[in-house]
Amino acid sequence: MTTLEFTNVSFSYGPERFMDQLSFSVAEGELVGLMGPNGAGKSTILKLAAGLLSPQKGIIMIGEHAIGTYSGKERAQQVAYLPQILDLQAPFRVGELVRMGEYPQNGAQALTVEEALLLVGLQDKTNTHLAELSGGERRRAYIAMTLVQGARVLLLDEPLASLDIKYQFDLYRLLKDIVREKKVSVFMSLHDIGMGAMLDRLLLVKHGRLIAQGDPGSVLTDEIVQDTYDLNDSIGLYMAANRSVCRALAVASLQCRM
Amino acid sequence: MKRDNSSTFLIAAALCAASLCIILVSVASGPRLLNPFILDSETCRTLLAIRLPRTAVALLMGGALGASGAILQGIFRNPLADPYILGISSGASLAASFGLMFGISLFTLSVPILAFIGAIATGAAVVILGHGWKGLQPERLLLAGVGIGFFLSAVLMLVMTISVDDGLKRAILWMSGDLSMVDWELLPAGLLLILGGLGLALTRRRGLNALTLGDDIAHSLGFNPIRERLFLFIAASLMTAASVSMGGVVGFIGLVVPHVVRRHVGSDAVVVLPLSVVAGGTLLCVADAIGRTVAAPLELPAGVIAALIGSPYFIYLLGQRKTH
Amino acid sequence: MRCNVTGLMLCLLFLIGWSETALCGAAPPPKRIISLAPAMTEIIFSLGLGERVVGVTTVCDRPDEARSKTKIGGMANPSLEAIVALKPDIVVMTSDGNPKAISERLRKLGIRTHVFKSRRLPEIPAGIREMGQTLGAQPPADVLAGNIEKAIRDVSSSLRGKSSRTNNGGGRKALFVIWPSPLIVAGPGTILDDAMKMSGLRNIAADGKVAYPRFSVEAVIERQPDLILIGKGHDDMKTLAKGFLKSINMLDAVKKGRICFMDDALYRPGPRIPVGMAELDRCGKMP
Repeated sequence: MTTLEFTNVSFSYGPERFMDQLSFSVAEGELVGLMGPNGAGKSTILKLAAGLLSPQKGIIMIGEHAIGTYSGKERAQQVAYLPQILDLQAPFRVGELVRMGEYPQNGAQALTVEEALLLVGLQDKTNTHLAELSGGERRRAYIAMTLVQGARVLLLDEPLASLDIKYQFDLYRLLKDIVREKKVSVFMSLHDIGMGAMLDRLLLVKHGRLIAQGDPGSVLTDEIVQDTYDLNDSIGLYMAANRSVCRALAVASLQCRM
Repeated sequence: MKRDNSSTFLIAAALCAASLCIILVSVASGPRLLNPFILDSETCRTLLAIRLPRTAVALLMGGALGASGAILQGIFRNPLADPYILGISSGASLAASFGLMFGISLFTLSVPILAFIGAIATGAAVVILGHGWKGLQPERLLLAGVGIGFFLSAVLMLVMTISVDDGLKRAILWMSGDLSMVDWELLPAGLLLILGGLGLALTRRRGLNALTLGDDIAHSLGFNPIRERLFLFIAASLMTAASVSMGGVVGFIGLVVPHVVRRHVGSDAVVVLPLSVVAGGTLLCVADAIGRTVAAPLELPAGVIAALIGSPYFIYLLGQRKTH
Repeated sequence: MRCNVTGLMLCLLFLIGWSETALCGAAPPPKRIISLAPAMTEIIFSLGLGERVVGVTTVCDRPDEARSKTKIGGMANPSLEAIVALKPDIVVMTSDGNPKAISERLRKLGIRTHVFKSRRLPEIPAGIREMGQTLGAQPPADVLAGNIEKAIRDVSSSLRGKSSRTNNGGGRKALFVIWPSPLIVAGPGTILDDAMKMSGLRNIAADGKVAYPRFSVEAVIERQPDLILIGKGHDDMKTLAKGFLKSINMLDAVKKGRICFMDDALYRPGPRIPVGMAELDRCGKMP
C-alpha cells in the first residue's frame, strides 16, 4: 500500500523551474533512501512531502488525501519531518520533548511516551537535557517524538550526517525496527553509498530530476553513480571497496545489496 | 516520568510558598515597619493607600515582564530576547514620556493609555519589519526590534535634552521604572491587560513549546508557526504595555527571570509561564520594598534594585551550569 | 469623607451668595508644614515658621536648623509614606523641581498642598506673598517680598543712572556656568538670566533653547564673553573649573581675570535673592 506518492510534481523557488514532473511513491513499511549531489533537490523533495513547501503543479498524496487538504493536526498524525540540523540549544529534557508528540493527538495514541523511549533506547534518559546527549541520541529522541505523534510517514533530512559509525548503525537498526514493527514508512536523504546499499529502495536525483530508482543493487551501479555525481574514473575502485564491505555485511546476515 | 512531574510540582509549590512569605514581609517593610497585628487607623491608611497598591503593581509588573520575556525568548529562539531588547518597552515609554512632557492630562489614565498605544504601535512596526519573504523570521524580527528600540530611545533622549518642562524629571523616572507614586487607579486596566495577555499565552502554550524547537518541527507537529508566533507576540506586547504603563521601563526581569525559572523546573511552557509570573512579580516586589526601606526616606528605583539582587544570582547559575 | 461633604456644602452656599473667605477659604493657619524643596524651606524659615516645619527633603541645607528636621526623601522622588506618617497640615512644593504627580497624589490622600509657581525673578515677591497668605504669615511675607522688590529696584536704578558704556557692568557680555564639565550654563527663562539682565549684563547663552543648556565650548570662545560667572554647584568649584578655564584661556575674560566664583544665592527663589543680586552686581563691576 502506498503512503507517500508524488505525481507529476513541479516546483520552483524563483522564476526558473527547479523540479519538473517528478513522480515516485513510498510504500507502507518501506525504508527508502534519497541520494544525489548537493543542490540536487533532496531537501526540497522532503519539504514538499512534509507540506512545508507547496508544489506549483502536480499532486502529493499522503495516505488517502493530498497533503494540502489536511488540517495541521491531521497532517501531523500522517507525516513527520525532521530537518538535518536539530537545535542544540533547545532547552528541553528528553521526556518533555517526546511528550510534545502528544500535541496533535486527541486522546488515542499510537505509542505512549514510555513505549517510544524504550523503542529508541532512551528510557533511562527521560530527565536528561537534550544538550547533554550525543548527536545520535538526540536524533533518536526526536524520532521518539515523531513516533508518539503517530506519523505514518517519517521524513528525515540527512539523519546520518555527522554521526560516527556506531551511531550510524544504531540509527539504521532503529529505523529498520520502526519500519518492520510499526509499519511506518521512512523516507530519508543520505550521502553514504555503503548505508544506501542497506536500505529497501533508493531514489537518485540530480537537478530536480529522478535519475534512477529501485533496489540498491540495481541503482548503485558504476555507471549510474558516475553519472549522478559527475565522477571521474576512480569511481570503479570506490564502488568495488563498498561492494566488498556490503558482501561482508550480507554474510553477517545484514541486509545489503549492491 | 512520574518522578519528574512530582519534583517539578514540588519546586513550583515551594517557589509559590516562598513568594507568598516574601510578599507579606515586603508589604510590612518600608520607611516604617508595619506590624500587621496592630492595625490602628493610620497604619491602615498607609497600608491601603500606599503600600498595597505599590505591592500589587510591583507584582503585576514583574509578573508581566517575566512572562513576556519567557514568551519572546521562546518565539524568537533567542536567549537575549525580552521586551526591552525588542523595543516594545521603549515605544511605550516614549509615548508615555511625550504625554508627561507636553502635559497631556485630559484624564488620569491618559498617560498609561499612551504607553499602551506606544507599545502596540512599536510591536506592530517590529512585526511588519520582521516579515521577510518567507513570513516572520526570528533573526529579522530581533534585528528590527533592536533597531527600532535604539531609534526610539534616541528620540526620547533628544526630546529630553531640548525640553525644559517640569514633566522632564518625571519622564526620566518613567524610564528607569518608578513605583513611588503608584495608586489603585492604574490597577484595573493593567490587571485586565495582563490577564488577557497571560490567558492568550497559556492557550498557546503548546505552540510556544513547539516554536522553541524551530519552525520546521513546529509545522511537523501540526502548528502554523507564523500564526502561533503572531498570537504569542500580541500576548507579550499586551503584558509589556500594561507593565510599562503602570510603572515605566524595567529591563532586567524580562531577560533573566525566565532563564532562572527554566534552570529549576525545565522549559515546558505550561510550567515556565506561570512560574515566570510568580518569580518576576516577587522579585520586583522585593526590589521595591528594599528600594523604599534601606535608604529611607530616599526612594531607590525598583528596577535598579531588582538588577542588583538578580544579577549575582544569575551569574551564580551560569557558573553552576559550566561545572555541570 | 465627611469633611469633603461639609466642604462641598459650604462651597455651594458660597455659590448662592456667601463670602468665600468667610467659609471655604478660612482654613486655620497650618501647624505642621512639610517642605519639598530647599528654596521653599528657606522661605518658610525666613517667614519665622521654622518651628512648624516637621519635614524637609534630604537636600534642604539652609538654614542650619533645617538640617535637623525629619527627612522625607529627595525633591523628585520623596517618600509618600514618610510624608503621610508626619501628618502634615500642608505640604509646600514648587513647580520647578517637584513633579506634578506628587501634588496630585497628595491631594488624593487628603493632604493639602501649596505649589509655589513663580519661576522668574519679578514674579517671586508675589509668590512669596501668596505663600505667606496660605501659611498665615502675611506680615513677614510682605517684608520679605518687599526686600526682594527693593533689591531689584536698586540694581535697575543704579543702571539707569549711568551710561552703558562705562565699566559698571553695563552691556558686558557674560556667561553663567552652572557646571563646567560637561559645560552647563544658565539659559533663558531662569532667575539667573533675569538677574543678569537687570544688572546690565548680556547673557551670551540667552538664545539657548532650554533653561539650562549644555553649551559648546566653541560657542563660548566665538561669543567672547567679557565675564565668566561660576556658580557654586560643589564645594570646590575652583578645582572643577580648571580644565574649562584652560580651554578658553585665549579669551579676555580669562586673561584679565574676570572670573567670578559666586555663592548659590541666586539658584533658589528665596530670601537670599537680595544677597545674590548684590554679589552679581559686584562681579559685574570687576575691573
